[in-house]
Amino acid sequence: MAKTRKTSRKNERQEAEPAKVRIRVNGAWRELAVGREVEPSETLSHLLRERFGLTGLKLSCDEGACGACTVILDGKAVLSCMTLAVEADGRSVLTIEGLPKDDPVIQAFAHQCEPGYGTALQCGYCTPGFVMASRALLDENPSPAPEEIKEGLAGNICRCGCYSGIARAVWHASRKTVGKGGAP
Amino acid sequence: MRKPFTPRQPRKFIGQYRPRLDGLEKASGRAVYADDFANKTRFPDMLYAKVLHSPHPHARIKSLDVGAAERLPGVAAVLTYRDPEVARLKPTSAGWTDGVDTVSYERMMWKRFRDRRVLGDTAHWVGDDLGVVVAAETEAAAEEALRLVKIEWEVLPFVLDPLEAMKPGAPPVHPEVTPNNVLPADPVGGGDVFLTKGDAERGLAQAEVVAEATSVYHNATQCSLDNWCCLVTWDDDKLTCWSNSYEADMSRMHISQMLDLPLHKVRVVSPFVGGQFGRGDTGEQPFFLFTALLAKRTGRPVKFKHTRRESFHDSRQPAIYHGKAGATKDGTITTLHFKSVGNAGAYADHTMFALKFAPAEVAEVAFAHIPNLKMESYGVYTNVLPACMMRGVGNSQLNFILGHLMDALAEKLGMDPLDLVAKNFGHAWAQPPDKSLAAVLSAGAERIGWAAKRHAPGRGPAREGVIKSGVGFSFHPGWHAEWQEARRGRIQVGLRLNCDGTVMLEAPTVEVGTGSNTCNVLGCAEALGFLGVTPADISFSNTVDTDTGLKDTVQTDSAVSFLQSEALVVAARELKAKVLEAAAGKLGARPEDLDVADGWVFPKSAPKDRRSLPDVLWQGDLVPIAVTVSRPPSSEKTGVPFQANFAEVEVDTSTGQARIVKLVVVNDCGTVMYPSGAEGQQIGGQCMSVGESLTEEIIYDPATGIPLNFNWIDYQIPTMADIPDIEPVLLEVWRGAGEYGACGIGEGVLTCTPAAVLNAIYNAIGARVDVMPFKPEKILAALGMADPGRPGTPGGRP
Repeated sequence: MAKTRKTSRKNERQEAEPAKVRIRVNGAWRELAVGREVEPSETLSHLLRERFGLTGLKLSCDEGACGACTVILDGKAVLSCMTLAVEADGRSVLTIEGLPKDDPVIQAFAHQCEPGYGTALQCGYCTPGFVMASRALLDENPSPAPEEIKEGLAGNICRCGCYSGIARAVWHASRKTVGKGGAP
Repeated sequence: MRKPFTPRQPRKFIGQYRPRLDGLEKASGRAVYADDFANKTRFPDMLYAKVLHSPHPHARIKSLDVGAAERLPGVAAVLTYRDPEVARLKPTSAGWTDGVDTVSYERMMWKRFRDRRVLGDTAHWVGDDLGVVVAAETEAAAEEALRLVKIEWEVLPFVLDPLEAMKPGAPPVHPEVTPNNVLPADPVGGGDVFLTKGDAERGLAQAEVVAEATSVYHNATQCSLDNWCCLVTWDDDKLTCWSNSYEADMSRMHISQMLDLPLHKVRVVSPFVGGQFGRGDTGEQPFFLFTALLAKRTGRPVKFKHTRRESFHDSRQPAIYHGKAGATKDGTITTLHFKSVGNAGAYADHTMFALKFAPAEVAEVAFAHIPNLKMESYGVYTNVLPACMMRGVGNSQLNFILGHLMDALAEKLGMDPLDLVAKNFGHAWAQPPDKSLAAVLSAGAERIGWAAKRHAPGRGPAREGVIKSGVGFSFHPGWHAEWQEARRGRIQVGLRLNCDGTVMLEAPTVEVGTGSNTCNVLGCAEALGFLGVTPADISFSNTVDTDTGLKDTVQTDSAVSFLQSEALVVAARELKAKVLEAAAGKLGARPEDLDVADGWVFPKSAPKDRRSLPDVLWQGDLVPIAVTVSRPPSSEKTGVPFQANFAEVEVDTSTGQARIVKLVVVNDCGTVMYPSGAEGQQIGGQCMSVGESLTEEIIYDPATGIPLNFNWIDYQIPTMADIPDIEPVLLEVWRGAGEYGACGIGEGVLTCTPAAVLNAIYNAIGARVDVMPFKPEKILAALGMADPGRPGTPGGRP
C-alpha cells in the first residue's frame, strides 16, 4: 500500500511555490497545493466532503465522538474529523465510495433481516461509518467473535439503535468473507 | 435462535421478514441527506450562515455594533433584529402543530403561547439563538464575524428549577404570557386540573389500601445524528428550501405565512433524514426564516447547519410526578390521582401536550374502568433549554409514575403486579381483563422468566456477595390506532399504472428511518395483487417535494407505516375499476364483464380466455392509468392494543452501578406491517432507553445556568458495547378498523422501559430510586450508603 510514497515536502518548502500534498483517494492520487486546494488546518473529512464531494462519510459530532466520519487510512479505520488532511500526505484513503457495491459488508448491512435482530440500519446516517469500521475490523480479524465485534464497533453511535442487527450483519459478512477466502 | 413472529393472516408482502428497500442505497453511502445536497461541489456560490447564541440564561441586547463583522473579508451579509424584514416577523410558537396535522398561523395548536421571536433581542437560556445572523463564504468566516459583533447585554435574573420558578418573586421568564411562570389554561390542554371523574379525594379516603409514589423524569435529548440543516435559494419571487425537516407541507405553510409568500412560491424539499425522534416536533424552526432572509438579501444560496453542540436545542419534557392509588383488598383499583410539575424550559412549545393532552389520552384508553380519577399538571417556564417531545410526548413520564405506583400498590396488596394490572386496566370498548393487555403481559413474563426470577424486594440471591439481581415490568396502552389519527385529515396517495404493467407510487412521507417507505411499497404491492406486481415493479421516491408531490403524511406518531397502506387499498380498488374500463375499451367488451387477476385480464364467463395486462395496455395512446385518493383515517373507535416491557437488572451494591442484563419488549400491533422494521424499532427503542435510564442527562451549572455537557463525550449515548440482550416480541391480538387494523409502535417501544428498570432495581435491592437516570450515586443513596446532599459521602457534594 502507498508504495509510491514521496518524501514529505514540508521540509523542502520554497518561497514561491506552495507546498503540495499527495493523497491517494479510492485508488487515484490527488495532488493539492497547501493554502489553495487544502488548508493546513483542514480536516480530512472536510477535504473529502466539501472539496471532493465524497459525501458518503457523514459529519455529525465533528469532534471524534460518534464515528459517522470513519474512513480507512492505510488499512486502518480512522475518524476523518480528527485527522488533518495534510496528515494523509503520501497515504491511501478509502471512503465508502471506494468499496465495490458487492462488498460483503455493504451487502450484509443492506440485507440484514434475520428474525429477532431487526435491520442493520434505519435512518442510515451512521451506516457508512459503521460499514467502514466493520470493513477495517474484518480486514484485520476476518473471523471476529461476538465480543470482538462489540468491542471493535464501540466507537460508533447508532441512535436508531440497530446494534443487534449490525452485529448480525458483521457476523454474516465475516462468514461470507471467510468462506470465500478459505481462511479458518 | 430467536422465535420469529408469525402473522395471524398470511399475506404475500405485508407481514413478511425482508430487507429494507432502501438498504443498499444507505449501506453503500449513496443515500443523499440535506447536508450532502447542500455541498459546495453542487452549489459553488453557496454561503454559510451562523447565528448568535446567548452566553447568558436570561438577557436582553441593549446595543449592538456589527461594523467590524460587516468589514471582515468573506462576509456577505449581517442581519440583525433591527432590520425591518426581521422586525416585522410575527411572534410565533414552536407549537404550531405536533406534526399530525398541517395548520395555519391562526389555527396553531398553542397560540396562547406565542413566546418565540425569530432573531429577537432577548435570550431565555444559555444557547438561545437571537440577535444576529451572518452569511459568509466559509463557516470559519461566519464564526469569526459573530465574534466581532460588539454586544452590550442587559443581564436579567434567571431561574432554572421549576419549583423555584413557581414561588412568588421568581424572575418571570415570559411576562407576556404569564406573570408567575406557570403556563395558563388553554383550550387544548385544559386547566390545571385537566381531568376529573368520580371523586378522587373520597375514593382515596374510602380505599382499603392506598399507595403513594413520586417519580422524577429528567431531560434526555433526541440526538439525531443528522443535525438540523437547510439550504435556501430565493430567486426572483420563488423560495426553495431543501432541509432535513420531517414535514414538508407544514414547513411550506410555515415559511409562506411567516414570510408572506403565496404557497405556490414556496417549494420545500426533504430528502432522506438521519433520524427524527421528536426533535422536529419543536416544530416551526426559526432558522428556515433567517436563512431565507439571508438568501433574499445576498441573492445566493445560503446553508445553515447546526453543529453538534447547537443540536442540543430541545429535550424530553422533564416532569416531577406524584401519584396515589386506592384499591380494595381484592386488588380492585378504585382511584388514581396524578399531579405533575413540568419544566417547560425557555419556551412552551408542546409542553402542555406532554403534561396534559397525552396523559388525558392514556386515561381514555387505559383507565376507563377506574371510577375515580383526578389529573392535574403545571407547566413552568424556566431558563433552561426548552422541552417537549422525544420519541413520544408525555407517555414515558406518565408511565414512569404509573409503573412505579402499580409495583408499590401490588406490594401493599400482597399481589403479583401482573395480576393487579391485568385486573384493572383497559379501554371502554371491552371489559377487563383486556385480551391484548393479558397477552403482552403473559408473553413478556414468559420471555424474561418472571416466575423463576421475581422474588420479594431485595431478597434475591447475591452474586459475589454484593451483586443483586431483580426483574420488573411496566405496561402502556398504544396511542397510534387509526381512530387516534383522525385529526390528520385526509391522507393523500397516488398510483400510476404504466402500459408495461409497472407502477409509479406516490405516497409522500419523509424517510426518517422508520421504514415506513418500505411499508408503503409492500402495501402497494399487496393492494395491487390483481396486477401481479412485486416491490421491484414499483417506483417510489424517497424525496418529498412540495412542488411535484401530493401532501406528505407527516412522519410522526409512528403511524405512517399503515395509514398510507390503508389509503392504498382504496386507491387500488379505484385503479382496478379504471383498468377494467380501459381494457374493455381496448377489447370491445363491457367493464362489468371483465376481471383482472395476477396481471391477466379475462372475461368473467371465460377465465381461460385471458390476455396479459401489458399486452392490452400497449394498445392505443399509451397514457398511464392514474388515480389519486384523499382518504381520512377511519374514526371508528376500536380501542387500542397494549404493550409491555420487562427488565432484568444486576445492581452492584458496593458501587451502586446498575447493569441491565436483559430487556424484553412486547408490542401488540394489530397487524405487523413489516416485521423486520418493527423489530428494528423495538430493539432500537431499548437502546435509546438504556441510555436514558442509566447515563443520559443534560447537566447545568446552577450558578450560571450554563449547560455543561452539550457533546457526546460527556452526554453519554450507549454504543454496541453497552447494550444488553434485547428480545423483541410482536403480537397480533387486538385489531383496529380497516384492511390492516394496525397501530403504530415506534414511539411506544421505549415508553415502559424506565419504569421496568426502576421496578427491577427495586426488586433487586429493596430500595427505591425515584429519579432518572439511575446513576450509581442515587442507588447508593437509596441504599443508605450515600447522601447526595451531604458533602464528603460517596456521590455527595465535594
